[in-house]
Amino acid sequence: MTSVSEAGVQSGRRRASRAAAGETFASLVLCGPAVVLYVAFIVLPAILGFAYSLTDWTGWTRSPTYVGLANFRELLGDTRLLAAVKFTLFETLLLVLFLTFGAMALAVLLDRLRRLKGLIRALFFYPYILSVLVSALLFQYMANYREGAVNTILRSVGLGAAAQDWMGDPGLVPYFIFALVVWSGLGFFSTLYLAALQTVPNELYEAAAIDGAGPLSVFARIQFPMLIPTLTTNSVLALITGVNLFSQIVVTTQGGPGYRTFTVGYYIYWLGVLNNRQGYASAVSFVTFAALVGVAAVQVALLRRKAVQL
Amino acid sequence: MNRLTHWGAAMVAGLALSASLMGCGGTDEGAKTIHVARNIGGREGFRRHFEAWKAQFEKANPGWKMALIDLGNAEGEQYYKSRIATGDLPEVIMTWQLTNFLADGGHLVPLPDAFYEKVGLPLPPPYKGKRYTSQGGMQIQGIVVNKRMWADAGVTQPPTTWDDFVAALKKVKAKGYAPLVYGGREWSAGQPLFYAIATNLYDVEPDPSKPSWTKRMDAGQVRFASSPVARRILERMIELVDNCVVKGALSDGYNEEQRDFYSGKGATWMMGCWLGGDIEPNKVDFEMEYWPIPSMTGRPPKFIMTSSTQNGWAITTSAKGEKLVKARAALDAFYDPHVYQLFLNGESQFKEARKVPIDGPKSAWPPAQKLYDNMAANMAKYGTTVGFHIALEDMPPPAFIMTLARVMQEILSGNRDLDQLLRMMDDDWASARKGM
Repeated sequence: MTSVSEAGVQSGRRRASRAAAGETFASLVLCGPAVVLYVAFIVLPAILGFAYSLTDWTGWTRSPTYVGLANFRELLGDTRLLAAVKFTLFETLLLVLFLTFGAMALAVLLDRLRRLKGLIRALFFYPYILSVLVSALLFQYMANYREGAVNTILRSVGLGAAAQDWMGDPGLVPYFIFALVVWSGLGFFSTLYLAALQTVPNELYEAAAIDGAGPLSVFARIQFPMLIPTLTTNSVLALITGVNLFSQIVVTTQGGPGYRTFTVGYYIYWLGVLNNRQGYASAVSFVTFAALVGVAAVQVALLRRKAVQL
Repeated sequence: MNRLTHWGAAMVAGLALSASLMGCGGTDEGAKTIHVARNIGGREGFRRHFEAWKAQFEKANPGWKMALIDLGNAEGEQYYKSRIATGDLPEVIMTWQLTNFLADGGHLVPLPDAFYEKVGLPLPPPYKGKRYTSQGGMQIQGIVVNKRMWADAGVTQPPTTWDDFVAALKKVKAKGYAPLVYGGREWSAGQPLFYAIATNLYDVEPDPSKPSWTKRMDAGQVRFASSPVARRILERMIELVDNCVVKGALSDGYNEEQRDFYSGKGATWMMGCWLGGDIEPNKVDFEMEYWPIPSMTGRPPKFIMTSSTQNGWAITTSAKGEKLVKARAALDAFYDPHVYQLFLNGESQFKEARKVPIDGPKSAWPPAQKLYDNMAANMAKYGTTVGFHIALEDMPPPAFIMTLARVMQEILSGNRDLDQLLRMMDDDWASARKGM
């Protein structure tokens, strides 16, 4: 009896062991290609990027020269980088504010629609499905001084004096970039809020109605508290959108006029690709990466605290 | 069931891996093909030349083909870098201002002096002791004017000084014409500043015993910020922008400049001689003249010759063995008289290969032919300077050309801080030099 039960246990162990090995094998096979690709295209370039930041590599040769920390020392006195950081932070601040609170206001309004709800929501979401390239080219066309849609409309209604060089005027171009990003992203950010609004129980609205609460009161006491987790998510996403501003700049202003719309991303591209300073561009990238990791760590900590409170 | 699941998963993953590996694989486009890369885009004249070049090469080299890699309107910098990374640069490429980068990276095959002698090409200044490029034609830069508009303003001869030039532009403006077609959005924004720097900060005839502005900049002996001539140049640029450029210029680029000039909306265009190649295809029907660049420093006006350094067709190290022989044959085919004639026509350049029995660019469209004739006559009358195109080892860093456009953009957007603008030029020069 004992030997029979021992054999059964051993047989069970063998089956379990085979199953575990099979699962490990399946995991390796399923995840392996993804891991290989991730390492090849994300991890390895990041490591190589740091290695290149210690060299004077131009991008044309295969044997860069080691320069130690010279690139990082140069970075400390780089006024153009400082200007790029300031411009990026300005755009990011505008975007975080608008895509967080503006999108929330839009979502609340869209949620109250009684007719054509789906169509209007779709219209707001539509720009998000366009590629950045298409959106940027569209804005570039609209902003053209002579033939752009904006100035053409202004001239056609007798407001020709208000026609501006939207991409060329240094006072206007930051808001041109901002408008482009907001137009592309507002629908997405609003949709996240709309999704959160669908989770608010109807009983709360009914109780508020019985208590005679007005729309502002409903928003302040019911909707806003329920939207806080999404607000946190949206603010993080908006921050990422602002810090990553690059494609829009390449397509529209190319950093101009002059150097007025250099974002950090565009500056890295300008250094590495257009000035053949891959080594120094890598150093700027690495420092930017480190700074973003710091910001992300603070955000994650704040998010966790918020989650505990909620 | 478990085993089945595992095998199924393995098969799916295997298929995915195979698909991704297949996606990474290259294709063999034929061992007997010479690939040629350059930017043709929508330029019909360039394409006509390439087709003739290909036909000549394939006729002279039976069994071999020539394939074009058309870079559109882009220059080759990013394409070449990516091809260097993947190890398959085309065998023959147009180097533009990238010759030194390509040569330093060991990607070019030097050409023997005998190659130049065979077709009568002047030997370009060597780069680190070697020559790599097969020159095309003589390319000059100057100012094209709408003859009728300028005559209407009472100006029929090229102004010799910059002050005369601006005064004449004001006269043209007073007659109700847009004096200058000018866009600030792209590289072409830097043309007036390039003209001024090349003809005023650099000697008309480079003297090997006297270091150029480039050499002195690199040695730290001079700076734009402390140069009275550089300051005067920027003051004149501001004057030009304030008096002759219309609001909204920052929205426009090269295409708008060309369209405005060819459609008779502007009297003057500061642009290279290649513009002549687009006159016949665009059926431009008015008379034009090509004038030299007036001086800001009391010198005689000159055209700038930008084809003086090694900037042309080169053979890359991708060409090995028989392919190297055929890549050289491709360069020989370029100088076939019919092919070379189409090159000069398409790019509106002048003959540089003395032994090829043709004269210069030709067109059946009278305004284009008249412009070619005027270009040749004025080039002979006023002469050329190489400006800062002295030698590959004696030129501003290539990226500095875009700095000139950015400085003009700053001026267009209202920046009048000369110290800041001059510092931008110094800083960009230093930064771009570190990338070489």
